[in-house]
Amino acid sequence: MSGRVSLAVGIGILTLLALLPLAGSRYAIDLATQVLIYCLFALSLNVLIGYAGNVSFGHAAYFAIGGYACAILLTTYNWTLALALPAAVVLSGVMAAVIGYFCVRLTQIYFAMLTLAFAMLVWGVAFKWREVTGGDDGLTGIKVPTLLGNATSYYYFTLVMVASGVALLWLICHSAFGLMLVAVRENAVRAGFVGVETRRLRWVAFIVAGTFAGLAGALFGMYHRGMYIENAFWTESAQVLIMVLLGGMYSFFGPLIGATVLYLLQVATNQFTQYWPTVLGLILLVILMFLPDGLAGLAARFRRAGGRN
Amino acid sequence: MRAGWSLVAAMALAAGGALAQGEPIRIGAMYPLTGGGAIYGVPAMAGHQLAIEEINAKGGVLGRKLESVERDDKMNPSAASATMKELITKDNVHIVLGGLSSAVGLGMSEVAKQEKMVYIATVPKTIQMTSDKLHKHVFRIASNTDLEGDTLAELVSKYKVKNICHLQLDYAYGHDLEAGFLKALPKYAPGSKVVLTLKPKLGATDFNAFIPQVMSAGCDGVVSGLWGPHFVSWVQQAKPLGFFDKIKWISGGEIASHEVAVSLKDEYPDNVISNTYELWYHSQDPMHKTFQAALAKKLGTQETPQWSMLGYNGVLFAAAAIEKAKSLDPDKIAEALEGLTVHTPVGPLTIDAKTHQSNTGQFWGPMVKQPGKDYRVMSPVEFIQPKL
Repeated sequence: MSGRVSLAVGIGILTLLALLPLAGSRYAIDLATQVLIYCLFALSLNVLIGYAGNVSFGHAAYFAIGGYACAILLTTYNWTLALALPAAVVLSGVMAAVIGYFCVRLTQIYFAMLTLAFAMLVWGVAFKWREVTGGDDGLTGIKVPTLLGNATSYYYFTLVMVASGVALLWLICHSAFGLMLVAVRENAVRAGFVGVETRRLRWVAFIVAGTFAGLAGALFGMYHRGMYIENAFWTESAQVLIMVLLGGMYSFFGPLIGATVLYLLQVATNQFTQYWPTVLGLILLVILMFLPDGLAGLAARFRRAGGRN
Repeated sequence: MRAGWSLVAAMALAAGGALAQGEPIRIGAMYPLTGGGAIYGVPAMAGHQLAIEEINAKGGVLGRKLESVERDDKMNPSAASATMKELITKDNVHIVLGGLSSAVGLGMSEVAKQEKMVYIATVPKTIQMTSDKLHKHVFRIASNTDLEGDTLAELVSKYKVKNICHLQLDYAYGHDLEAGFLKALPKYAPGSKVVLTLKPKLGATDFNAFIPQVMSAGCDGVVSGLWGPHFVSWVQQAKPLGFFDKIKWISGGEIASHEVAVSLKDEYPDNVISNTYELWYHSQDPMHKTFQAALAKKLGTQETPQWSMLGYNGVLFAAAAIEKAKSLDPDKIAEALEGLTVHTPVGPLTIDAKTHQSNTGQFWGPMVKQPGKDYRVMSPVEFIQPKL
């Protein structure tokens, strides 16, 4: 997709989303809020996977750090949202910087395992630090400003935040920095020879990914009025990874499609059966066997086939 | 993405629509139906369904049938919160029942508070729900960790345990039960003291590091919250060492339930005093006989699990409250639940108007051998019911 077309499509989707509450369905608003949050979460992970070529198995850590930080600042310390949200996002970035500093020293499977280890460490802290996080009871009763108290206003707030996040990530990924990341992904040795500081570049990508995951986490916690240790567990990291794979990691918008399709499928499946994990397994199988570049890649292949005729 | 939304909108419209007279009353139920919690959640859901079937066979409530809308809570509080919101906004349920873990219970209670929807917690025991996180729309018919801790302290006094080894699992339920027990101990047994506190991890299977510590601590009794599989592992590792010959084991966590008795069979040790919500072989109320017979038929086994009754009682309370409120307005249902008494298979239970906690009792007693049975049974059975 050329830049202008994707901009037009983006504005079109944004307009539709902005008009969604007019449909009058509270359920659709709730669902859309959750999907938007997962979209941002998946998109943030793709900076690492799709652009830098580093598969992280522990992305839920930064989601949880952002969510817990925002929740604790709002509820325990009674900060206003205007301070708590930026502070939570910055903290996620700082934590990603610290953890990423060590992780980017490794590559491939070793990198993935280290991200997983750090994520379980974050889970462990959330579990054990009961005075602050509430341990495995979770942190419920998050104080959300009354202005955002109803579903519609919170939906618009989420929409603005997620749209800004997506726009920022688009700019980052399409900047010289983004292109250099792709160069590192394709051939790190050669990128190094032409003067790219690959490790530092991957570190910055790690921080960017963690920061936006933190924003998604903060939005998630406020939406549910609760953060729980399950949000930091490796299963959450796996879910967002599957979202990215399903949507297509080599497309900027792929993870948005993946997050939307996977979450809606999960919600729809749950209404009929409890065997969602089986369905998820089948989806994963189909992606790995037949759709290595995800739904976005499938769409591109169709377009190319159409063009030839 | 757009196709997704229109699908969603269509589903929402189909499910919505004004509530007409004669339409069924929708009861939402959420239990863990997959994963590790399923062994408790599935029987609880069976009890829930049994109550719905029985009430519908008698003509329903306010002349309307009950419709059960059932979902897996996955033991994941965020997923459970989202699912509960869906039950409320899409399936238009009139009341929500269920939950199992503390975190899921608290998460569901939070949704109930936001959405002003009545939630009756049937299994979660965390004291927070009916103390500092209490609100107008949350009720509990399970026991709670304060009540359980209170009874443990009472039993310490009854069995004259002087030096206590305290074992609790290192997670929410263990911490809450520990607090409940320590609060009650000076009241019942001022002469007894805790000489050792150990906290194995949730899901631990290897207790070899803990067993010698307890055996050498000089305690004459253990107070424990090690439930189900934890207790089973402890017994398998400790019994060969003669652990239970010297030390009395007073435990919460329903290890006197028939499920645990059957999983240990001959290995079940002496000197264990514990609790259970229900015993299929013991009826203290005539209603229990009919309940148990119906449940046995539904599950295809005579030896029915204790958890079903909690799901069953949840529906009884919901139905009675709606009948009393003569309305489906959540505020009116909540008001009706305050002080409501319902006849259950273990006798009449009442929800306290202030704390929203029912005076749900439990059966407590020693687990003994009986001729002709390959599993232990509780005898004598004592029903300890809290005074609220």
